[in-house]
Amino acid sequence: MSYFRTRIEAIGGAVLGTSRAALELWLVYVGTIAGIVRGFSRRHGGRGRPKGELVRQLHAIGNRSLVFIIVTLGFIGMVMTYQACLQLGRVTGDYSQVGSQFLRLLISDFGPTLSGMMLATRVGAGIAAEIGSMKVTEQIDALRMSGVLPIDYLIVPRFIACVVMTLMLTVLGSMVMYAAGGLTAQYSFGVNPSTFYDLSFVRGRHLVLFVVKALAYGAAIPVVAGFCGLRARGSSEGVGWATTAAVIGSSFAVIVLDFIISAVALFLADGDL
Amino acid sequence: MSAYIEFRNVAKAFSGKAVLRGMNLAIDKGEVMFIIGTSGVGKSVTIKHLIGLLRIDAGEIWFDGARVDQLPERSLAPLRKRIGMVFQSSTLFDSMTLAENVALPLRKHGKLSHKDALVEARKRLAQVYMDDYADRFPAELSDGMRKRAAIARTLALAPDVVLFDEPTTGLDPVSARRVDRLIRELADTLGVTAVVVSHDPPSIFGIADRVAFLYQGIVHVVATPDALRASADPIVQQFITGQSSGPMETPGF
Repeated sequence: MSYFRTRIEAIGGAVLGTSRAALELWLVYVGTIAGIVRGFSRRHGGRGRPKGELVRQLHAIGNRSLVFIIVTLGFIGMVMTYQACLQLGRVTGDYSQVGSQFLRLLISDFGPTLSGMMLATRVGAGIAAEIGSMKVTEQIDALRMSGVLPIDYLIVPRFIACVVMTLMLTVLGSMVMYAAGGLTAQYSFGVNPSTFYDLSFVRGRHLVLFVVKALAYGAAIPVVAGFCGLRARGSSEGVGWATTAAVIGSSFAVIVLDFIISAVALFLADGDL
Repeated sequence: MSAYIEFRNVAKAFSGKAVLRGMNLAIDKGEVMFIIGTSGVGKSVTIKHLIGLLRIDAGEIWFDGARVDQLPERSLAPLRKRIGMVFQSSTLFDSMTLAENVALPLRKHGKLSHKDALVEARKRLAQVYMDDYADRFPAELSDGMRKRAAIARTLALAPDVVLFDEPTTGLDPVSARRVDRLIRELADTLGVTAVVVSHDPPSIFGIADRVAFLYQGIVHVVATPDALRASADPIVQQFITGQSSGPMETPGF
């Protein structure tokens, strides 16, 4: 009996813990949105946001991720196009649709989602490590004692910077991915660039989907990573756990959001996406 | 007459492990009260409860005639304006200069403009002989300097009570005694109530008015430094003489 009771208690504890974590994550998200509103409504540049912090975060999240995004998405574009041409060559030998279909997929899914995944690892880890370190060294308690809301001070500038920079990096990364794919198709399979770079299949709804996904990922990554950082406990080991959790959680958030947004878009477009 | 600060039957557990088990402690206005005890006994946890950085599981905490343990986070700002805390690690913000660090509570609690807060911050830094370093970043300073700047930040709002969490840990003896003197002067000249968590015998026996010895989740004894030194209690004697063997149970050893 005691064995079953222990197991049931363990399951119950895990469910309660997960529910509590989900509620706390939601509160961080709501607090961040409220913090943005407070920032606009207050004098002296928001409630506790240090001077120049937004610019610093735009640089840290955007500029410092630029090379990483360009290189990784460039290589992914090359590999995807190579594989697509290889399979088409085996089946039909007709490469005329490769570029246009690749672009459609790139805009509606691969561009924002792969950029989001890459940023979830680089930016998510950085945010969680920074906030987690502040948590375990009591700097967040010191902020609260100074009358500053930690979410306003730490997460709001990162949230704004991440939303802006994710959109910009996604645009840039997708362009590099497309260009790299075109070059691969041209030099490996002899596809004419004018055939590959064909924009005729792109519709307005694809662009809307692109922007919505990029903005959603840009909003999710700092909230999840910041939440993980705020939950850090103990010492450096706790910061390590928080960083790992942030990378997993942010990546998972990108995948889940991709699924939800794609499903909603398919529903709204009557399956014709 | 009730005490200025009072902990009544306070209990706290972390992950099912009890740290405080019905702790009682009364602190008078203007006194320098030291809380001592072995590592992990709940000294820092005790003082963090007073300002809502941690929440108690059971019991009551009273400050200046009002119960404070049930205040929601948004109602804690006035309390945190009256009770300052100097943390164990100096907790200065790395991205800000010393002046900006000290100015932060003045802007948020004191509602001063950025410019006025910086002017006021330099005055506060001068009180701890750190005004020459006002434009430096924390990473450019020694531990002792950072600690003094952290004290200046805490004192910026002229609090009624200051909580010190191991203020002399990691400092050289000269810097440690300077911090001790500053704590004593706060009480003697400004009437500030100081609650100090410490392991440092020269501090304890040098500046404390009273000492609360925390053991096994409760206050084992409260006494003046002289009475503590003369105590016949073997547990107290083992702690203050620092003997490794004796009746005291120390988790992990």
